[in-house]
Amino acid sequence: MTKMYPFEPAEAPPEYRGIPRIDPVLCIGCGACANACPPNAILRIDDPESGMRRIVLDVGRCIRCARCEEVCPTGAARLTAEFEAATDDRRDHVEVVELKLARCRNCGRYTHYTERQVAKVLSLIPRGILDFDRVREKLPLCSECKLKLTVLNATKFGEGE
Amino acid sequence: MKSLWVFHVNTGACNGCDIEILDVLTPYYDVERLGVKLVPTPRHAHALLVTGPLTRQAYHAARMAYEAMPPKPRLVIAVGTCACSGGIFHDSYALRREHRESFEYPLRGGASEFLPVHLYIPGCPPRPEEILYGIALLKNIVEKKVRGSWFSESAFVLPRESFNAWVEVLLRARIRKELGYFDGYPLLRRFMELVESSESKEELEKLVQKAISEESDSRLRYGLEKLYSYYLEVVRTYESILAAKRALVRLPK
Repeated sequence: MTKMYPFEPAEAPPEYRGIPRIDPVLCIGCGACANACPPNAILRIDDPESGMRRIVLDVGRCIRCARCEEVCPTGAARLTAEFEAATDDRRDHVEVVELKLARCRNCGRYTHYTERQVAKVLSLIPRGILDFDRVREKLPLCSECKLKLTVLNATKFGEGE
Repeated sequence: MKSLWVFHVNTGACNGCDIEILDVLTPYYDVERLGVKLVPTPRHAHALLVTGPLTRQAYHAARMAYEAMPPKPRLVIAVGTCACSGGIFHDSYALRREHRESFEYPLRGGASEFLPVHLYIPGCPPRPEEILYGIALLKNIVEKKVRGSWFSESAFVLPRESFNAWVEVLLRARIRKELGYFDGYPLLRRFMELVESSESKEELEKLVQKAISEESDSRLRYGLEKLYSYYLEVVRTYESILAAKRALVRLPK
């Protein structure tokens, strides 16, 4: 029997790897998916002037390998069972998630990670294992200030004894 | 346009999309009921079905086929991710493409760079239904379903905090090795819900035993047992670290 497909709806099987989607509620903008994506369908673009990081997903370049789903630490990147992605305009394939970059607490410039990444890392540390206040003090620092702080701490080594 | 006659050009595809085009022509999917016919020469064709990322060698043949088509209508249908944007081959040396300095989006490449494409059907390869949907879209039978989206300043949710989040990170790597991401991650989510709903260790053990006895899939049963043993291991390690730290603090100066 011929399938009546365009005239009646069809569903993909549950394990079908369809169009990927990024959930903007869960995404922390770490760019793990951008690193893992073989065809560079996901880009991580930092804009230091406006202080925004954009995670750009292009369905038209995705090969549905599900590597993004595998590496995403929060489960934001997921492959849906949808497959009807045909369009006459490539702009329909693009999904952009825009997130704020964290500001360095020392010099005020934008760092290389987002505010949500800081929140995620702070939420990961279990109580009692690490010195929580020292970690919190060091976290929203840009790489230059972190370098200076490390050098400063190294020069102070042994002074307290 | 009532019937679309198409000429199929392979411009460097891996043959996956070509096989899907053959699938569409079989009696089960039967694209010919939509008036589509595969013709042997571009002089009879209304549309060019392009598969593949348009290599340097294939570009000239594709151009000749395009120019041999009747002037109107002269449609180009890009089938597959490669033809849409270059796909996995987007930075290959063998592709004919313009030099680009930076990333821009929508990502360019593939057939769309040198042939004016009228319909993009992504997929690697696209399902036969996907190609049928694209043809139906060209004939205005169905409506477009995908839309570009831009999310900015949305709400933010962290599903777990502190100890449970830490445990989840450690268990996630383990369960990925045991079951893979597809079964493992949903199972881990289920397990963490059990952990959060239980208040004591005994209650968690009861809940896990109940979940294992109710599960019909033996792989998931195995995964749940493994997750529970890993969980106990992590808790034990955490408590031993805490005890060691407390002992360190109590040392006399």
